[in-house]
Amino acid sequence: MSPHLDQKTLDAILVNAVIQATTQVLSTMAGTQVTCKEVKAEKSYRPCGDISAVIGISGEKGEGMFALSFPLSLANLIVGRLIGVQPDKISSEDRCDGVGELVNMISGNTKSVLSQQNNTLYHLALPTIIQGRDHEISSRPKNAPYLVMLFEAEGQQFSLQVSFITKE
Amino acid sequence: MATKKILSVDDSIIIRKIFKGIAETLGLGFLEAGDGQQALNVLADHHQEIALIILDWNMPVKNGYDTLQEITTDPRYKHIPVMMATTETERTNVIKAIQAGAKHYVTKPFTQEDVLVRITECLKA
Repeated sequence: MSPHLDQKTLDAILVNAVIQATTQVLSTMAGTQVTCKEVKAEKSYRPCGDISAVIGISGEKGEGMFALSFPLSLANLIVGRLIGVQPDKISSEDRCDGVGELVNMISGNTKSVLSQQNNTLYHLALPTIIQGRDHEISSRPKNAPYLVMLFEAEGQQFSLQVSFITKE
Repeated sequence: MATKKILSVDDSIIIRKIFKGIAETLGLGFLEAGDGQQALNVLADHHQEIALIILDWNMPVKNGYDTLQEITTDPRYKHIPVMMATTETERTNVIKAIQAGAKHYVTKPFTQEDVLVRITECLKA
């Protein structure tokens, strides 16, 4: 049986799981190599990119959200690789759906690590898409910080931001 | 004789497009549904043409697990192999799906090569 995890331990588990899941999902599904360039905790959401996919996670021992954000050109490139289409031929519908599916896979893989470590089951909501330059997202649990992970792929930056708190 | 078809059930258009490409590679026809209820509607009309159902777990309206249970307990459909393709990786869920009658369980992310092998195995069984 796993003991109750404190927030710092959980944050470390989350960061490692998210980095591994992001690297694996983009490499396996789109043949895209990813490097994590920076990890930091911030009090508020850090705008990054033109399109974000947000997904909620909840369970008996905690709740939170994942937000995956890309610049448009990188989103088109990666979604194009998923389905074998040139980036300039990607429709808005495909781009939104593809980024949503990527956050679904990354959060799904992270969820299973969290479930094992915290000895509980978590559930994911369906992803929501937000578009627009430097948009902000405010669907985090109250007062929870954001763990901001900045990645690089194909010479462009994208982010995965997680906000998660444990329940007593 | 009509071409046998794969039915892909996933709320992601992109995932359905990936499976459509794989079906074409295998020389199979393709049908799709965006949730479990749509899948049951497609099955009602086309079950005699369907050689394999590929089923996501987390979907709106009717989830993959409930859909799997309906398929494997319906005398019209229970002979059709079902392969789960999902981000649900918890051991308890994998066991639940296999016990409910899923023939294969593929977790996302997957390579197209891996899925091709699994689909071929399902179709041979």
